[in-house]
Amino acid sequence: MVRDMTPDLSVTLGGGLTIKNPVMTASGTFGYGLEFAPFYDISRLGCLIVKGLSREPVLGNPPQRIFETASGMLNAIGLQNIGVERFVRDVVPRLEDAGATFAANIYGKTPEDYEAVAERVSEVSSLAAIEVNASCPNVKEGGIAFGSSPDGIARLVERVRRKTGKPLWVKLSPNVTDVGSIAKAAEDAGADAVTLINTLIGMAVDHRTRRPVLANVTGGLSGPAIKPVALRMVWDVCRKVKIPVIGIGGIMNAEDALQFLLVGASAVQIGTANFSNPRAAVEVVEGIESFLREEKIASVADYRGTLRLS
Amino acid sequence: MGFRHGTIVRNEGHGTIFYRMEVALPEPVQFVPGQFAMLSGWPGNDPLLPRPFAIYRAASAGGRHSVEFVYKVVGRGTALLSGLHGGDPVSVTLPLGRGFDLSGEGRTWWLVGGGVGFSTVFPAADSLGHRKGGFELFLGGRTRDQLPPKDWTPGGHTAGRLHLCTDDGTAGFHGTVVDAIRERMKGMGVSDLARVTILACGPRPMLKGLAELAAGAGVAMQASLENHMACGFGVCWGCVAAIRDGEATAYRRVCKEGPVFNAMEVVW
Repeated sequence: MVRDMTPDLSVTLGGGLTIKNPVMTASGTFGYGLEFAPFYDISRLGCLIVKGLSREPVLGNPPQRIFETASGMLNAIGLQNIGVERFVRDVVPRLEDAGATFAANIYGKTPEDYEAVAERVSEVSSLAAIEVNASCPNVKEGGIAFGSSPDGIARLVERVRRKTGKPLWVKLSPNVTDVGSIAKAAEDAGADAVTLINTLIGMAVDHRTRRPVLANVTGGLSGPAIKPVALRMVWDVCRKVKIPVIGIGGIMNAEDALQFLLVGASAVQIGTANFSNPRAAVEVVEGIESFLREEKIASVADYRGTLRLS
Repeated sequence: MGFRHGTIVRNEGHGTIFYRMEVALPEPVQFVPGQFAMLSGWPGNDPLLPRPFAIYRAASAGGRHSVEFVYKVVGRGTALLSGLHGGDPVSVTLPLGRGFDLSGEGRTWWLVGGGVGFSTVFPAADSLGHRKGGFELFLGGRTRDQLPPKDWTPGGHTAGRLHLCTDDGTAGFHGTVVDAIRERMKGMGVSDLARVTILACGPRPMLKGLAELAAGAGVAMQASLENHMACGFGVCWGCVAAIRDGEATAYRRVCKEGPVFNAMEVVW
């Protein structure tokens, strides 16, 4: 009986939301989701999170926008997106047809912008959750202004909270002194979960041309290079808040994902790996399931947060 | 479009700076000339990202399918690829992007490849070779060693059809392909020029020079652009180019809306 069991991959994320498995795809690395339909059935994901949505379409930063680094990459896309209206009108029906569980990542220049986008996407009954981007390092007003202090995050989350009944996640920046206190402030302000980490601010320069490589000069570092930093921060925050923590940062495969669950994350997001291997996220779902089966662990919940410290 | 695991059939330098890799795949590949693939073939996460290459050829025979790429070693990724051997595994995502529009009837086609850019225009030559009127080919390199090998050149070296250009004059026309095309245009009437479509791939200064020349002469031009890419299929938004959008400028993805753009719309 136990030998043939199918592990229960479902996870509960607060705000009344349970998803079928703990594997999500990170905003900004998954387009609007449909782009991955040629590679696998996107309804197999626990949740996909679409590219950050703003009130109006955004042009984004000039090229060059990306640069590969040792086991990682820098990006400074600048939140280019189609705007919330086109998302609701053109993309949502197709995500629904695909049977996908999806969440909207939102951002704005002002708290009013965040409120407006949150209200609009809340009208989408099939939307699983809202993820507030309070941490984009590449746009001056891309949320980092709010996300770098406990007071700032509390003010923003309180206002968005009043505008939506959807589960509300807050995506946090690692470019702060104490991510724990910011996560706690988000929790106290009504967040249902926190997502961390967003990218680490980095830079690349050309020693011959003496110019920065990215037009934006600085960019966000992602990929396996940042995984140890992310893992430490997730572990830290898991001990400081009671709400679920969604772990992200350099996860390339199921082993990486399991490590985030082990330190206490309730779910994980696959980001840069989607670029290296378009099937990365679904392979993580499969890999977590086979690990639990092999280890005869009944559920993700049984494995989560079981790090042995002594 | 799909993500496939393949096996290298052969991967050889050809006494030139160019390598040619053939990869066996489980399924046949159909592509439009100018489309590309994302290719990686190394273990681990460094380099992290696959590399974009034009699809050079695709073949299917006796239930075996393969695809070919031509490349030049320009950095770590291509250096690693050049060290792979027959039997080694690679992964490819293909076919990607929007290729050349070869639909015009009665056009005069001028195909222009600068450096390794020939690998993008040769497939177009293969398609156009069957048409009445065919094409003319302009190939540029810094020196004769940087021109594609003769036996790769579509249509062989038919007189009047092939224009080899070298910056140092060691082979063919002494000058750039832009200079050669300026020469070619001399004496052509407005109506003849209006029938010409240039299909070009090469270094950006070459493309820019050609686009200015074409615009001045009333010649149509499709340019295949390059850029750093992370995903190759439109989700990272990292590879954009500035493209005219009415009065405004938009950032279009080289991997998705391109790599082939109307050269008159590119903000050079």
